[in-house]
Amino acid sequence: MNATPGQAPVKSIMPKWVRNPQEFVGGIALMAIAVFALWASSDLQGMRGFSFGAGTAPRMFAFLLLGLGALITVVGIFTEGPHLAKYHWRGPFFVTIAILTFAFTIRPMGMIFAAMASFLIAACGTPETRWMETVIVAVCLTAFCSLLFPYALGLPLQLLPTFMIR
Amino acid sequence: MGDVFANLSLGFGVVFNFVQWTPAFLGGASIPIPVNILLCLIGALVGTLVGVLPGIGTIATVAMLLPITFGLPPVGALIMLAGIYYGAQYGGSTTSILVNIPGEAGSVVTALDGFQMAKRGRAGPALAIAAIGSFFAGCVATVLIALLGAPLTKIALAFGPAEYFSLMVLGLIFAVVLAKGSVLKAIAMIVMGLLLSMVGSDIETGASRMAFNIPELADGLGFATLAMGLFGFAEIIRNLDAGGETDRKLVQEKVSGLMPTRKDLKDAAPAVGRGTVLGSILGILPGGGAVIASFAAYTLEKKIAKDPSKFGHGEIRGVAAPESANNAAAQTSFIPLLTLGIPPNAVMALMVGAMTIHGIVPGPQVMQKQPDLVWGMIASMWVGNLMLLIINLPLVGIWVRLLRVPYRLMFPSIVVFCCIGIYSVNNAPTDVMIAGAFGLFGYWLIKHDFEPAPLLLGMVLGPLMEENLRRALLISRGDWSVFLTRPLSAVLMAIAAALLVLTVLPALRKKRDEVFVESEN
Repeated sequence: MNATPGQAPVKSIMPKWVRNPQEFVGGIALMAIAVFALWASSDLQGMRGFSFGAGTAPRMFAFLLLGLGALITVVGIFTEGPHLAKYHWRGPFFVTIAILTFAFTIRPMGMIFAAMASFLIAACGTPETRWMETVIVAVCLTAFCSLLFPYALGLPLQLLPTFMIR
Repeated sequence: MGDVFANLSLGFGVVFNFVQWTPAFLGGASIPIPVNILLCLIGALVGTLVGVLPGIGTIATVAMLLPITFGLPPVGALIMLAGIYYGAQYGGSTTSILVNIPGEAGSVVTALDGFQMAKRGRAGPALAIAAIGSFFAGCVATVLIALLGAPLTKIALAFGPAEYFSLMVLGLIFAVVLAKGSVLKAIAMIVMGLLLSMVGSDIETGASRMAFNIPELADGLGFATLAMGLFGFAEIIRNLDAGGETDRKLVQEKVSGLMPTRKDLKDAAPAVGRGTVLGSILGILPGGGAVIASFAAYTLEKKIAKDPSKFGHGEIRGVAAPESANNAAAQTSFIPLLTLGIPPNAVMALMVGAMTIHGIVPGPQVMQKQPDLVWGMIASMWVGNLMLLIINLPLVGIWVRLLRVPYRLMFPSIVVFCCIGIYSVNNAPTDVMIAGAFGLFGYWLIKHDFEPAPLLLGMVLGPLMEENLRRALLISRGDWSVFLTRPLSAVLMAIAAALLVLTVLPALRKKRDEVFVESEN
């Protein structure tokens, strides 16, 4: 589903006849997603007479995406275009870790812990971080969110870790 | 005509609805509170607050703030969202004028002349004319919605499934034609969105589709989740790449002399008028909307100006026209949403998401069954515009200070805020992870020059399209020609086909690129 291709290949890997690597790789990735969707929806029923089955529409869109992906790939071969953009690992890596940390700690540890932890991890995403001010802002933001969401907005969020509530 | 006034007065009645608040400490005395106006005000303020943060566009702002409206009754929630939307748009103009960082595509054009004005110490008049122009455009558009709303609803009621399907095809084609960049890639993104919308249960058989037995996917991918991933997280990751601090040339001079001079007003007035007309028309078209409106308005002003070379060097008309067009289009794009139930752009798609969460299915039925909701929202648009004018202008100083918040502190806060927001939709940690995955996917899309906005539109229209396609074919007993034999549907399909052919034609393609490129030089 979330076919997130990892680091794109370095441009030297690209053969010479690919003149627009950005489109070429993009098209291939879309085709891969389409094939994956076709496989994932292969267990669903198709047309029953003239009425649609559960799998008809997904397969229709998947085939459409497959065709479009192929077209984009072809365009990538025959037109001049930019090289693959450079990927940086630091930002995406720490932001992802921060999001995962939040997801895994919000239930057992409560919002105060989850918000603090993910703020500090996300802050590692840039070399510009200065720790003193980051910690101060983290505390303030956590306090603000702890008041805003459960109290001002009345959303059912648990603030403290489960073991402290029991 | 009488209808229009009756409807508008109903709307303003809803907006100016006072609730008697009887707090215990007053000993039985009650204070009337204009709840909806307050909500609109808070929405506009918070929307500006978030929208003014550089790198956060209108879509991201609305997506991020969606959860704070969940606890409200439907009317209040939608009024607040409308306020957030206008606030976010105004915030976007503020950043493009003051820092030359347009938060979204629509305000790219504003940055051209607005930033030049700011560099010359005329940031105040630039911001003021943007707000005044927007307010004027908003007034005109509100009346237009009231005029067109009822008749369009009548047309909508004559629509069968075949017509609805054709209309959505037309809307998606419009979205592609009017978008920036490659047509092929935009279509691919729409189809990608359609495909993503298929995840979950089948509406007719209830069969689980592409959900891999993950309980959180059984109901389909959450709309807010996807939007926050694609627009919130992905933008953050991308901005980190750019090295947050480097490209932020903040205008250091104090914003002084807020009011435009008499000459400014005289120069800008006709531009505001032209921008409003152009924006209102482009906004009604399905798939149209704010972006193309501001580009087109700027191009028009430049074409008819006596001295076009002034543009790009701080010409006030270059701010007034696109800002008015932008706002007019933003407002009239509610027309297809409220009358036909079809979101014409990504922000409206978010509105549909919000309505669905409150159990409202937008469309002609809503107009008849819940007139207070529809007309209340329309009236609140006007009130929202007024709020921006009378409250945000004096607050410009605060917004400027906000711009000085360094990105290294801002982005972790946004990450945490988004996480809490997504989690609070369903109290599901899995949703947070899905949003994270879409954040990475969105980052990859940006790197390959794919626009995420059409994807969002496809995602919302997917279930509607499938349902109407299925129904149309069931009624016609499997005959696909039904889309061409029913006259209304045939006309819509013909327009769609013609548009698509026109875009592929080299001559028009050049023109279309010109509109976007010209304003960048």
